[in-house]
Amino acid sequence: MSLAKPLLLLLLLAAPAAAYDRSELAEFNDLYRTGRYEEALTGYRDIVAKEPEDPWGYYNAGNALFRLNRPGEAVLYYAKAFRLDPRSSDIRANLDFALRQTGQTLVPENVPAFLHYLYYFFSEAELKALAILLFWLACLAGTAGFLLDGSRPGLAAGRAAAAAAALMLLSLGWLEARRAASPFSEAGVVTKQGGTRMLSGPGENFKTYASAPEGRLVKILDAADDNYYEIGLPREGIKGWALKSDVTRI
Amino acid sequence: MKRLLSALPALLLALAAPARANLSVTAETDRGTVEINGSVYLTVTVSGDSASVPEPKLPNMQNFNVYDSGRSQSISIINGRITTTVSFTYILTPRFLGLQRIPSISVFNGKEKAVTPEIEINVVKAGQPRQQAQPAGRPVRRPPPAAGRPQPAAAGAAADPIFIKAETDRRTAYPGEQIDLSVKFYTSVPLSSNPQYVPPSYKNLIAEDLPPVRNGETDIGGTRYAYSEIRTALFALSPGPAEVRPMTVEVQVPSGQPVDPFDPNFFQNMMAMTGGQGQTKDFHTEPIRLDIKPLPSPQPEDFSGAVGNYAVTASADRAEAKTGEAVNFSVAIAGSGNLKPVTAPKLPDLPDFKVFDTMSSLDIKKEGDVISGKKTFTYILVPRAAGRKTVPPVSFSFFDPRAGVYRTVKTDPVVLQVDKGEEGAKSVYFTPGQGQTSVTASGTDIRYVSDRANTPGLARVAAGIGALPLWAHVPPLVLLALAFWTARLNRFKSANPLLFRFRRARSEAFRDIEEARALIKAGKNNEAVSVIYDSFMDYLSDKCGEKVGALTMKKAADLVRARFPRASDRALDDIRELWAALELRHFSPEASAAEGTSDLAGKYELLIELLEKELRK
Repeated sequence: MSLAKPLLLLLLLAAPAAAYDRSELAEFNDLYRTGRYEEALTGYRDIVAKEPEDPWGYYNAGNALFRLNRPGEAVLYYAKAFRLDPRSSDIRANLDFALRQTGQTLVPENVPAFLHYLYYFFSEAELKALAILLFWLACLAGTAGFLLDGSRPGLAAGRAAAAAAALMLLSLGWLEARRAASPFSEAGVVTKQGGTRMLSGPGENFKTYASAPEGRLVKILDAADDNYYEIGLPREGIKGWALKSDVTRI
Repeated sequence: MKRLLSALPALLLALAAPARANLSVTAETDRGTVEINGSVYLTVTVSGDSASVPEPKLPNMQNFNVYDSGRSQSISIINGRITTTVSFTYILTPRFLGLQRIPSISVFNGKEKAVTPEIEINVVKAGQPRQQAQPAGRPVRRPPPAAGRPQPAAAGAAADPIFIKAETDRRTAYPGEQIDLSVKFYTSVPLSSNPQYVPPSYKNLIAEDLPPVRNGETDIGGTRYAYSEIRTALFALSPGPAEVRPMTVEVQVPSGQPVDPFDPNFFQNMMAMTGGQGQTKDFHTEPIRLDIKPLPSPQPEDFSGAVGNYAVTASADRAEAKTGEAVNFSVAIAGSGNLKPVTAPKLPDLPDFKVFDTMSSLDIKKEGDVISGKKTFTYILVPRAAGRKTVPPVSFSFFDPRAGVYRTVKTDPVVLQVDKGEEGAKSVYFTPGQGQTSVTASGTDIRYVSDRANTPGLARVAAGIGALPLWAHVPPLVLLALAFWTARLNRFKSANPLLFRFRRARSEAFRDIEEARALIKAGKNNEAVSVIYDSFMDYLSDKCGEKVGALTMKKAADLVRARFPRASDRALDDIRELWAALELRHFSPEASAAEGTSDLAGKYELLIELLEKELRK
């Protein structure tokens, strides 16, 4: 009980309230509605700067960028929105639409849509939070189980602790699988207009042997270099080095 | 002379575009020739068949400075077909002499694209310099000092031949209240071209240009300067600090021989210079910080953030209608203030009407450096039943920053005479002829922007949990470890009860001795002897692991010897001696005097200390 208040305080500190009001958003949406996409985009960017956990700021910015015919940045913002709220049908629809404009799809071929939806049901932040909560539950139930050792409630608490620990391991495994295999984790988008060149090394003295079009989702394999990312295209099975100014991390 | 360029491009576009293209754009200027110190109004008109049309994308024009001068929008709904026309007005001030081109202007609504042809503007040199209206960049003649009159010293910034100054008319304001920003560019030397103004960026502010550029002359510290003033209206977004960040003016200063600025052939001389003679220089202003006050509380219930001074009117597009027919009901909010973020007022309950979508149109004026205009919200009302129907007053609340109070204004009620319509007219179709046809997808598009203003609760909580520091997760782990250790200890105790009795024997014996001494002090010698006797039996039982009280003294001594072979004879003798003494006192209470009982307690204490050394496993 004594831990509850500090923890609640920590949660409140870690999750600030909305940093902007509805009238601002209404103004930016009004700009969007009247076709003033550049000004609307500036507003939406202010919103995501103030509240980086708000998926709708990214979503609206993606819409403005799409209208401005900047598909790379549109995919980038939709992908950011998708990472924050993967269950939203609007975000999924627009991300899929933008990806299709650049020759990609949200749901890979031969994967049933419902399985894809299930796999991305939780965002990575939610999976992480779930694992943390299950860790707490397992510890506290385990504590109760040990303290009530030998009694029937103690046995029930021990079983609850074991179940929570198993679920925690499951959610951690899910999270790690998502981080390793999802095209939106440890990933970037080619945002340079016209696409980017893929070099065989981090420098202009290396040979160009492939190009990635604008809006293409890429895996970022190595970000240690000052100017270049090592990127991979899983579908084609190739990797190379691209300028950091051409590729933006999601 | 007004040049209308819409007819030819519109015809060409109509021929080139697909038959169903509904987006169009035209551009026209109010004149074809302009003096270098004058300005041209450019009007770009965009029309489309939806409630909103895109804003034109102006090309990069190096040969003109461009200022937004407002917009006007009109929406017409005829037989359910919506046509929107928006006119965007810009003021262009030329930077170079000669034939200058305004490149093609394009609009793109995500599906269709429309462009205007180029427009040519002939920029000619200005007439003779006037005292009141000097263009920026026009050099200014320095008057010769009067004979015998001292030359006034230049002060502060006036010592520089070129400088820029920015100031606002106030440092505190409410969100949405107009703040005027004035940027003045002064020069006392000739420039190679008109200066180029790079607008500043803003924090917590949005900006509206207030064209045209004001030009003039002034005397600062004895030096005559030509100046250009650019005014901008600023509106704060929310309470708290706001800032106008530094702005820049780029000028080309000739590096060669100076040209007489008041020479009638000044501009020809300037144009004769080669580009290599010019030198580009940047001038910056200091940032301006503003304090934005929160709007006072309490706020009216229907207040939606409008700040300014407004009036509201309501009207219907007809006075008579039939049931099932659509009536356009418009609520117009007009006045001074930033109308862009003003949202549609909530209609009162209208049980006699079905209310359909709202559309808005916006006209902005910038007269007298005050942003004003009219925003019209059009609702589609469909009468449900015949009779004399009234739309009650619509109220609108706003904050008047001058008076510092909220005001609520209302429209007059609007009366409609509704007759009974035909049966078929009970449903409204906004695209005539499609009422009975099935839905056919004609294309796909992204979904519309969201008006959700906050991070979803689950995401917020997840982010909060994820942001907890690592040490915050240590307490449950510590609790678990402690509970585990306690459980292990308890189990060990249960499995080895004698071990714990053996270890506890001494402390329990000393506790009993203390109790016995307290009884002696209270004069209860018999009870004290009983306590010592029971304690001694318990001590031996705890040490031997068997109940000693049920044994004889001899058997007890044998048991001690068997359990502790290394125990000395002296210890066994002391045990027997104390045992005998205690039995005597215990079973013959009359023999127990206070002094003897106290001795027994002392002996028992000494024996315990001895046995603790002797009775070791």
